[in-house]
Amino acid sequence: MTMVSDIVIDGFFAAIAGIGFGAISRPPRRAFKYIALLAALGHALRYSLMTYFGFDISTASLCASSLIGFGSLWLGKKCYCPITVLYIPALLPMIPGKIAYNAIFSLLMFLQTMDEPVERAKYLELFFTNGLVSSTAIFMLAVGATLPIFLFPKHASSLTRRKLYKD
Amino acid sequence: MKDLLRTKTEFIAEYASRLMGCGVNTSRVIRNSKRLGQALDLDVTLGVFQRSIILTSSDNDDNTHSEVVDIPKLPIDFEYNSELSGLSWEAYDKKLSFESIKQKYQTILDSPKMSPLIILGLVGCANASFCKLFGGDWYAMGIIFCSTILGFFVKQQLTTKQVNHFITCIITAFVASLAASTSLLFDITSDIALATSVLFLVPGVPLINGVIDVVEGYTLTGFSRLSEAVLIVICIATGLSFTLYLINDGLL
Repeated sequence: MTMVSDIVIDGFFAAIAGIGFGAISRPPRRAFKYIALLAALGHALRYSLMTYFGFDISTASLCASSLIGFGSLWLGKKCYCPITVLYIPALLPMIPGKIAYNAIFSLLMFLQTMDEPVERAKYLELFFTNGLVSSTAIFMLAVGATLPIFLFPKHASSLTRRKLYKD
Repeated sequence: MKDLLRTKTEFIAEYASRLMGCGVNTSRVIRNSKRLGQALDLDVTLGVFQRSIILTSSDNDDNTHSEVVDIPKLPIDFEYNSELSGLSWEAYDKKLSFESIKQKYQTILDSPKMSPLIILGLVGCANASFCKLFGGDWYAMGIIFCSTILGFFVKQQLTTKQVNHFITCIITAFVASLAASTSLLFDITSDIALATSVLFLVPGVPLINGVIDVVEGYTLTGFSRLSEAVLIVICIATGLSFTLYLINDGLL
């Protein structure tokens, strides 16, 4: 039971984060509910993969972002929005901010401990580990979500075409 | 006839540069502009660079006209992205007249924008939720909510005053992280609060658009977008490190 509620809570907060970060880029109003849905599904999937199946953050990000990518291809047709309008805000909650912060923090500590070889080596190692993990995860997010554009280029480029026009 | 060709080409150039300026991936800009050209009975070819677009259109009588337009620096806008893409399809499907296309274009540009205050609140909630996702507690979430609102308000003000984009990012990151560092005074998850405080500045749109552009073969625009994104990330890190140096004793 706690497992289910943990996943639901994770998805809920991801949805709020997706809506809020999306609002900065001014998406159309009709897109907000789909952005929230995609952000929640994607983040909850990554959380489950990492917590219960032992995936690493990069592979889990790739799976989650593919889900978001294919989801926005399907939902984009429903609200006549280009695929990027839905998936970029939905991906934002998955940016590995804590790891990126650790990288910056280690870099500063490395600069401050130049005179102490042991400490210096430790922070240098931490900088490279955290920097590499966060940039790989971000790259995987972009690649996974872009996958549908390459697999279905025709469909992905005609999402804003309407069957019926109002006037 | 030549005058009409010229006005039509100028309109398509304006359309393309607006799309490019508000953060649409290059292949979509080119597809949309060509489609709009077809709707106006023109054959349009365009070359897109980092700061300008070169565009040539020819009509059925083999008259041609070329335009070079600057790409304006506009805030990222998904509403324009969707609606202007939709407009190109509507013009193509319904064979709209030039006048009505221009009219619809203007209507889209004049559409009401969301109030900055609502955006401020939404961004605050978003960053607080982000803090929760990284394992922060409720107190850290509260502090992040306030620090994000403060930081984003500073950003809105600096953007209105047209301060340089990178300087805006450094100042905003500094203000937001300094406000979040008040969490060090309490016994809460302060490192998570500090890490989350600047994340609302992450340039997600140029990062992802850059990757799309590069992979689709528009290496020039793709790399220019990626390098802009990297510069912004460096600015965020700079602002954050000012705070970290100031509060160094608290963290060590």
